[in-house]
Amino acid sequence: MSYCVNCGVELEASLNKCPLCHTPVMNPRELNKELPPSPYPTDKGQVEVVKRKDLGILVTVVLTATSATCLLLNLLVFDSSLWSLVVIGSCMCLFVFSFPAIFYSKTPIYLSLLADGMSVAIYLFLITFLTDSDRWFWNLGFPVVVLLTIFAELFPLLSKLFTLTILSCALCIFLEIPAFCVSLELLIRHILDDPYRITWSAVVLTVCVIIDFALITILAKKRLRNEVRRRLHF
Amino acid sequence: MAKNQTTPNKISKQNSKNRKDVWYKLDLSAIVYPTLQRRDFSSVYRLSVVLKEAVDPELLQKALDMTLPRFPTYKVAIRKGLFWRYLEPNNRPGPFVKEDIKNPCMPMHFKGNNRYLIRIYYYGNRIAFEAHHCLGDGTGGMCLLQTLTAVYLGLLGHPIQPEGFVLDINQNPDPEELEDAYMRYAHAQVCPPRPAETTYRVRGTKEPFYTLNIIDGILSVKEVMTVARRYNASITEYLNAALLYALLQKQSSDFHLRLRPVRIALPVNLRRFFPSKTLRNFITMVYPFVDPRLGEYSFEEIVEHVHNYMRYHINEKMLRGDITTNAATQRNPLIRVVPLFIKDFVVRTFYTKVQDKNSSAGLTNMGALHVPKDMKPYIERFDIYMGQPFSSRTNCAIISFEDILTINFASSIVEADVERYFFRKLVQDGIHVKIESNRDADPVI
Repeated sequence: MSYCVNCGVELEASLNKCPLCHTPVMNPRELNKELPPSPYPTDKGQVEVVKRKDLGILVTVVLTATSATCLLLNLLVFDSSLWSLVVIGSCMCLFVFSFPAIFYSKTPIYLSLLADGMSVAIYLFLITFLTDSDRWFWNLGFPVVVLLTIFAELFPLLSKLFTLTILSCALCIFLEIPAFCVSLELLIRHILDDPYRITWSAVVLTVCVIIDFALITILAKKRLRNEVRRRLHF
Repeated sequence: MAKNQTTPNKISKQNSKNRKDVWYKLDLSAIVYPTLQRRDFSSVYRLSVVLKEAVDPELLQKALDMTLPRFPTYKVAIRKGLFWRYLEPNNRPGPFVKEDIKNPCMPMHFKGNNRYLIRIYYYGNRIAFEAHHCLGDGTGGMCLLQTLTAVYLGLLGHPIQPEGFVLDINQNPDPEELEDAYMRYAHAQVCPPRPAETTYRVRGTKEPFYTLNIIDGILSVKEVMTVARRYNASITEYLNAALLYALLQKQSSDFHLRLRPVRIALPVNLRRFFPSKTLRNFITMVYPFVDPRLGEYSFEEIVEHVHNYMRYHINEKMLRGDITTNAATQRNPLIRVVPLFIKDFVVRTFYTKVQDKNSSAGLTNMGALHVPKDMKPYIERFDIYMGQPFSSRTNCAIISFEDILTINFASSIVEADVERYFFRKLVQDGIHVKIESNRDADPVI
């Protein structure tokens, strides 16, 4: 039993100095006595935190260096075409895609999807500098990217509005696929100056409508729904 | 905000049917705690019980799995709505018991730990329970800890009859246990203003991230009672006065251009005044203070001042006024429609600029704990930690069981001046104090 000579408090046996005034505990009769273990743990705990800062710096440096070196190579050595724009565009896309995962995980999903769509659109636009005309971009590439972005944005919006189960997710997907295919065929016909009508996308549309009706029936009937869930659970 | 809140009555009916429809609004106090969440700070408190024999982790895990469903508001995850946060049942695996760590009450990220907002640790004879304050206060937490301990002892072959804090795990939760009791009693006709004056703040060297310095003082209840009676005060009043005295001494020893009032944030358990079985937050703050600018206070004068302050402020009428003031903001329709991120910004700014500067230290007294008669022979003592302070200051928590009174200081600063002045005052008054600390676990170099 030790007491602090300064504070007058009794000190727990494992303490080798007073935690209040840091006066060392010293018993001249027991100089070599080993202290008992502390009643407190000695290992420090850590919250599960993914250290993304270093990874973020690394990704930024690698992508910037790749873009810069390719640009220099393009300007100084292989200068027959602007091929470096493809590399720079893909680096930019990679950076934008990895932004929510590496740099700022709280980025709203709508914003990150919009940024993804914009980066792909810019990438395609950069490619137009390597082609004879940019008509393909404005009449097909850009509208397709816009469509895909809208459909991608719809998904989190629906999941926020309704509780999405596997079945309702499937329903959303099979509603979006035909809509996208029909729009794509119309855009292709527009660029080819063909009359507006649907052919191959009509097949996709028919198949998807059948699947949609089946899914709606399953979702509406509790017994069927439970049966499917039971058989498809993972 | 979620579409429909399930009332407690509904909850018990639906308990086993459809857990997905159940969700809980955060109670009036709980709204603030998630707002203050930082990478290096969470409002987490810890309660622990020291048994008389070593804890078996496997049995403890089993006891936890059996106990937690009885406390639906603790088996939850926190989610963000458009206007408010809410709690929803969490059916992910866990929480799992872990070996205790040196730095208790470490930050609790909402998405970590399988989204559970509680942690259970064991170390030697100790079972420790940590919870985010948005789930409930110390009384709710103590119910869970004691029930868990009782179930654990039952698994060891020492059956404990439910009584007091120990609940029957085979019963459905009483709807009153899940209620936001503030709203039931916040009906005063006026809203008294809150105290808002910048007070003395302890300045110290900040410890590195993930450090919580603990100093525990173990005393005899009888001795403290005798000394408190000598000053015509209760134990809480006496210990409050001792902490104010320590803070005054610290302020006068620090470099200062002018003196500031010294104020303690003291949570009051409202269940004493407003009957409720709620296991969620049901506390309010009172702020006993002394103002050294008025003159030098002797210790006797401080005790008398605290005694009078407590008598005036801690009564049903004043407390009802206080909770009505707090509830007024939540009831205001203009505030309710403000999106959550704006509310977060405003509340955080208000807390940092005003509320946090309103007190020099925190002190909570859980009072004398009672456990069922069958449980007493297996319990050595209880500990309580208010957790990491929001700013660089000291938090003090007091709890007593049988004749053991434990005073637990927790701080994130290197200096232990306040603790030293405090315990020296108790020693001067003739109280025997035994000190334990995690500060000196490393050997002296």
